[in-house]
Amino acid sequence: MTFLWNASGPIENDPWTDADGDRPILSLEAALQSNAATIGVQIEPADDVRRLEPILDRVALVAVNFPAFNDGRAFSHATLLRQRLGYRGEIRGVGAVLLDQVPLMLRVGIDSVAVTHEPTIRRLKEQRLPGIALHYQPSVIPTTDGEGYSWRRRAV
Amino acid sequence: MYRYDEFDRDFVAGRVAQFRDQVERRLKGEISEDAFKPLRLMNGVYLQLHAYMLRIAIPYGTLSSRQLRMLAHIARKYDRGYGHFTTRQNIQFNWPKLADVPDILADLASVEMHSIQTSGNCIRNVTADHFAGAAADEVADPRPYAEILRQWSSIHPEFSFLPRKFKIAITAAENDRAAIQTHDIGLHLKKNAAGEIGFGVYVGGGQGRTPMVAKLIRDFLPEKHLLSYITAIMRVYNLHGRRDNKFKARIKILVHETGVEELTRQIDAEWEHLKDTNLTLPEADVAAITAYFAPPELKDRAEGWGQLAAWKKADPDFARWVQQNVRPHRHPDYGMVTISLKPIGGIPGDASDAQMDAVADLADEFALGEIRVTHEQNLVLPHVALADLEPLYRGLVAHGLATANSGLITDIIACPGLDYCALANARSIPVAQEISTRFGAPERQAEIGELKIKISGCINACGHHHVGHIGILGVEKKGGELYQITLGGSADEHTSIGEIVGRGFEPERITDAIETIVDTYLAIRTSPDEIFLDCYRRVGAEPFRSALYGAAQAA
Amino acid sequence: MTSKVLTANRLIDGISVWMGANGEWVESLRDAFIARHDEAVAALESAGKQAQADNRVVDAVVIDVEETATGIRPLRLRERIRADGPTIDYLSIRAQNGANRAA
Repeated sequence: MTFLWNASGPIENDPWTDADGDRPILSLEAALQSNAATIGVQIEPADDVRRLEPILDRVALVAVNFPAFNDGRAFSHATLLRQRLGYRGEIRGVGAVLLDQVPLMLRVGIDSVAVTHEPTIRRLKEQRLPGIALHYQPSVIPTTDGEGYSWRRRAV
Repeated sequence: MYRYDEFDRDFVAGRVAQFRDQVERRLKGEISEDAFKPLRLMNGVYLQLHAYMLRIAIPYGTLSSRQLRMLAHIARKYDRGYGHFTTRQNIQFNWPKLADVPDILADLASVEMHSIQTSGNCIRNVTADHFAGAAADEVADPRPYAEILRQWSSIHPEFSFLPRKFKIAITAAENDRAAIQTHDIGLHLKKNAAGEIGFGVYVGGGQGRTPMVAKLIRDFLPEKHLLSYITAIMRVYNLHGRRDNKFKARIKILVHETGVEELTRQIDAEWEHLKDTNLTLPEADVAAITAYFAPPELKDRAEGWGQLAAWKKADPDFARWVQQNVRPHRHPDYGMVTISLKPIGGIPGDASDAQMDAVADLADEFALGEIRVTHEQNLVLPHVALADLEPLYRGLVAHGLATANSGLITDIIACPGLDYCALANARSIPVAQEISTRFGAPERQAEIGELKIKISGCINACGHHHVGHIGILGVEKKGGELYQITLGGSADEHTSIGEIVGRGFEPERITDAIETIVDTYLAIRTSPDEIFLDCYRRVGAEPFRSALYGAAQAA
Repeated sequence: MTSKVLTANRLIDGISVWMGANGEWVESLRDAFIARHDEAVAALESAGKQAQADNRVVDAVVIDVEETATGIRPLRLRERIRADGPTIDYLSIRAQNGANRAA
């Protein structure tokens, strides 16, 4: 059972389907070939996320895959999507999503996660995330300036 | 030194609470060991042969006496009464209980210490010259920049799951005492013609299975671009570093396989987008952090000159200790004192709780309360008046801390090895002890002069054997231990990887082999002023091979 | 068949342990249960997996030993060191007051 969640809580009525449905999440190559007005695309760790640029205005969902929970390339993909490409749509963490990486995902601009790990689902439902609200790096999520030095932030 | 403000304190407190929660979930089985392992590693908790090991961060090797006393307290309360100082300027405890670690971290937090990112596939402790802020040849103190990098790299959301560990070192003198060319990123602080501070940036150094010397990819990076440029390097590494093979995952392999020109082009292309963003360092921030490292007020103590001469005349042991362990300070009335943690026949780098307390007291009395940890597993008191050297020395003698061997053959670097470490193939500490005992006589050490022996118990090279003048690598062969010797390594500004001399030596023969090498050197050196490393670079491996294996054949 | 024992590290404190005859973890190799037949080895492996699943130990592994006159001796040096503790007198440093004058 895959649980979908974002900072507001569980996601109901998610429009995205598997490959056979009417709103499939496509591979990068398939997305680049697609004429659909609204595209969902999954970025694998070895993909170059910047290739989405020409179709970005039609992309409504980018799923960034963590095939192993410790494959950290998706953190860079999300960062580039937000900071380099200026992407404003939904970024979803998929794959081996575990509780302790979710705060980091949120900080790089991943808005939602798809989770199968039961203890993670429980804690997300309780809205009890193990993050730290003080950051030593500028962030893409809303923060206030952290006191003292330019690189610090506090999550709001 | 740097002092936490409220933000830093709240952050570390948050980290302690986070780890406490993670330990609880682990003990309840809500996190598997596989998922927990990177979390505990990012809090410095290893599992070794006999017990857990906790590696505590000592940022750029700088400690206050108060902090050192806390380390003594932790050794007593939670461990077996001693700790081990490491080749990355950190400290390790060998017997903590996992269940106690959150409390240990809370105690550390009370003195502005932590164990954040001392392990794991993230950015590790940023190390620096242990004589920073005191050495006469320094362009500027590198530690403010190490502190900026420390903060910026702490729980960086993009770079917490890198392909592999990432180590940064920074030096600020032509004589590189921080071994920057053996690091993933090495920074050489310098000034341009206009007197502005910037960095030579080296990338792709490292030891382990495939030792490599870092390449200079940018000759002068202006100070304000430090964070943006490092971000560019880290992003390219995070995206393109290999993740298919743990032994090919460091950035040195990426440099090697991509080619340094092409990789530099990729880094510079990424940097173009980052160059003038919110990662630019404001001068005011640099100035504010630099203020924490302002040189201490050092009173003139010219009476020390005469006193020192008299003491040296009266006590040859003291004279020898000054000669070997005290180096000139920027202020002529002061010296930089190395406290040897290499007693003859002892365990390199270890200190008992009583010794830590003693050093803290001596630091308060004679050294403005500041201590440094070196990557050669010794301690340093960087600011000691010459007029205080003799009473300091007496204090050190009383606690077995006055061995006059800094830089000499018995000042051995050794990893914990198979006595402790789950990664090891062979023991390293007994080898160090035996070599130390064999060469322990002061006259013999003085005769031999500067000779850096470094011993690793496995290919991970935590003992830095690749850059030892004599390196010893312990391997496993046919169920037993075997020791391979390398010669001619160096970790300074002329970094070189040692050359394997031939087939390895059994434990009972390794010390004799070292003695053969030393005797060969003594016989062929041009004068006592030609140190072993220079002699080796002049004559090559051949004379040593012949001596070890016979003239007819080598390996 | 080589004799075998099951060893692991206790999760809560990391201490090396071996499986004893009663299915309990013991802190001394000499009290370990020795498996001399395939069925016994399979039982040990299964006990190791279960103990890990129960979050009592980590890194459970079956290791080769020989039975000597003086007791159980692991075949690998690494396991002998795990059983006997570090081969160095690491506590001697605590008695080092004045023991090492300047050399």
